[in-house]
Amino acid sequence: MGWIWTLLGIPLVTGLLAWRIKIQKVCERVQVAGAFLMLLAGLTVAYRVLSGSPFTGENEFIYVDALGAFNISLVVLVGFTASLYSVGYMQHEVSEGIITERQFRLYYLWFHLFLFTMLAVSVVNNLGLLWVGIELTTLVSALLVAFYKKGTALEAAWKYLIMGSVGIAFALLGIIFIYLSGIHLLGEDPRALDWSVLSQAAEHLNPKWILIAFIFVLVGFGTKAGLAPMHFWLPDAHSQAPSPVSAVLSGVLLNTALYGIFRVFTIANTTLDGKAAQFLIFFGLLSIAITVPFILVQHDLKRMLAYSSVEHMGIIALGVGIGGTLGLYGALLHMFNHSMAKSLLFFSAGNINQKYHSKRMDRISGILKAMPVTGSIFLIAAFAITGAPPFNIFISEFTIMMAGIKGGHMWATVLFILLVVLIFAGMIYYVVKMAFGEAPAKLEKKEINRWSTAALFIPLVIVVMFGLYVPPFLSETIHQVSEVLQGVHR
Amino acid sequence: MDQVIAMSLLISTLMLFQIRKISDSVGILAFQSVILSLTAGAMWYKTGFSHLLTAAVLTLLVKAIVIPSILQYTIKKIDIKREVERFTSKYTSLFIALALSVAGFYLTSRLQLPGTEHGEPYLAVSIILIFLGTFLMIDHKKAIMQGIGLITIENGLFLVAESLSYGMPLMVELGIFFDILVTVIVIGILSFRIHSTFESLNTEKMQNLKG
Repeated sequence: MGWIWTLLGIPLVTGLLAWRIKIQKVCERVQVAGAFLMLLAGLTVAYRVLSGSPFTGENEFIYVDALGAFNISLVVLVGFTASLYSVGYMQHEVSEGIITERQFRLYYLWFHLFLFTMLAVSVVNNLGLLWVGIELTTLVSALLVAFYKKGTALEAAWKYLIMGSVGIAFALLGIIFIYLSGIHLLGEDPRALDWSVLSQAAEHLNPKWILIAFIFVLVGFGTKAGLAPMHFWLPDAHSQAPSPVSAVLSGVLLNTALYGIFRVFTIANTTLDGKAAQFLIFFGLLSIAITVPFILVQHDLKRMLAYSSVEHMGIIALGVGIGGTLGLYGALLHMFNHSMAKSLLFFSAGNINQKYHSKRMDRISGILKAMPVTGSIFLIAAFAITGAPPFNIFISEFTIMMAGIKGGHMWATVLFILLVVLIFAGMIYYVVKMAFGEAPAKLEKKEINRWSTAALFIPLVIVVMFGLYVPPFLSETIHQVSEVLQGVHR
Repeated sequence: MDQVIAMSLLISTLMLFQIRKISDSVGILAFQSVILSLTAGAMWYKTGFSHLLTAAVLTLLVKAIVIPSILQYTIKKIDIKREVERFTSKYTSLFIALALSVAGFYLTSRLQLPGTEHGEPYLAVSIILIFLGTFLMIDHKKAIMQGIGLITIENGLFLVAESLSYGMPLMVELGIFFDILVTVIVIGILSFRIHSTFESLNTEKMQNLKG
């Protein structure tokens, strides 16, 4: 139990320390060290849960099973690389005079608080508190989106705050309905919102109320997860935030919202006898389809990456909707792979952005010549994210296709393949144009700094290695998570 | 008695569509929250569920005192053009709000929701509050009014939870109050920044991000 409190405490303490320490060098070191400790604590918690049984504690207040452990691992992994990357990124911003020394320290405060809220979402048992946690992630990250005090950043943050809060208000309505069916079964009892209790009793819940609840939760948390047609805030927020924050937003915040959907989905799918899955297939396909035109006519590099996140959230929803052992395996592997590849892409896009002083794709060319390391990694990450072999996302997308064909979802699968190919063509067209060619003459041929380059290698190794082979500990983890999603109790 | 209270909640919300100055809305919002707190208190008196008493006290403290003060402070600090700006005229928006209220009554009667004994009379009004809050956010151009719409929606949700299940478990209730408080603070911070950047709180000026 102590490990959970340690895990939650570390980012809080780190954030406050980084905020109070006035010496820039020390502040940076402290926050990286804090993020590293958080990584260790998170992986320890995950290891203990996965090799033992789910954690329950503090009056059944806390509940961490394989699904929670999986989300915790993603948050600490991406959180740590982003904090490493932030060092170089923020040093550059300070030296260019874009942000002040006070903003610099505030950034680390918000950043670590943001990680804290996502970890808190993954450890609570009560669906109401899960809602509270997800709302808190919105509030903290809205301040990070508004970090650059420019008009466009404020516009994005406002849109994000309003859409996020209204969406999540609908999710609360859904949670109220779940509570209603819970107390109908258990009587007036605070445990009637505990996930561990509800999932055991799922078969006896009232199907009509659970259906209403699931639709509200799907629309509400779906807004935060960027599922179409509720995704409008996403490209704005992800493109306006500082790049390390964009990586965390795309890499794990979206997953955390999906995590909320999955918790309710597991209950609803049992109560409704598999009907809930159809909603996920529908919203999944719609999200993939809606990104196609936006990626094909995009001008802004980070917006393109943001739309790609909408696509991948759609793919994960589709995979879970298709279901079965294979579909769930593919979807969860995809969740992991997307986190790695997308954070890698946002980090390299951040380097490019700082080098060229622009996010407009027509002003960027010859990245390979100007920044050989970032350029090659950017190219690899772009091929990975569009699902080209031999990288990791190819494996998970292929698994989902197989599951679709085997599960009899022929039309959905054909549509999926077609759309993914179109997105591949669109993205690679722009990426190749930016990577090759001549770099502008006045540009100094040099990486941004060693921190910004070093951080790229952690996700890079995973993107390349896990495409060639999925290590046994990962596939074992994913099997355990898919058992949770199928409603199997250990 | 319940009907009278429910009606006064509805009418106070409709008044939000008739205000001329933004600051008028703060008083209406505070009034709404006081009534909300009273209903929770009355339900506690009748049922004896202690978490309802906590909810009543917190509603009074957070929603009727703290939040209106934060909003008032923000509005006072941002000292230009305090008139509201709407997309529709004053009468059209009242008309739409009334139509939404009728739709809310109709919907609630059709849905056959299982209200609690003491919460039943508020069910329709609670749903209407959510509708009207949403419409308020769409109709108004000023950023801070969208925040007020959001709080109206939250008030509606509070009342839904009360009428369907005598509120949520205590910990959840506390969490939700904390969230609303932080939301209003963040809305305040962003409104300041929007105002100092655009010299206006009109969200129509914020339409540069497209595609």
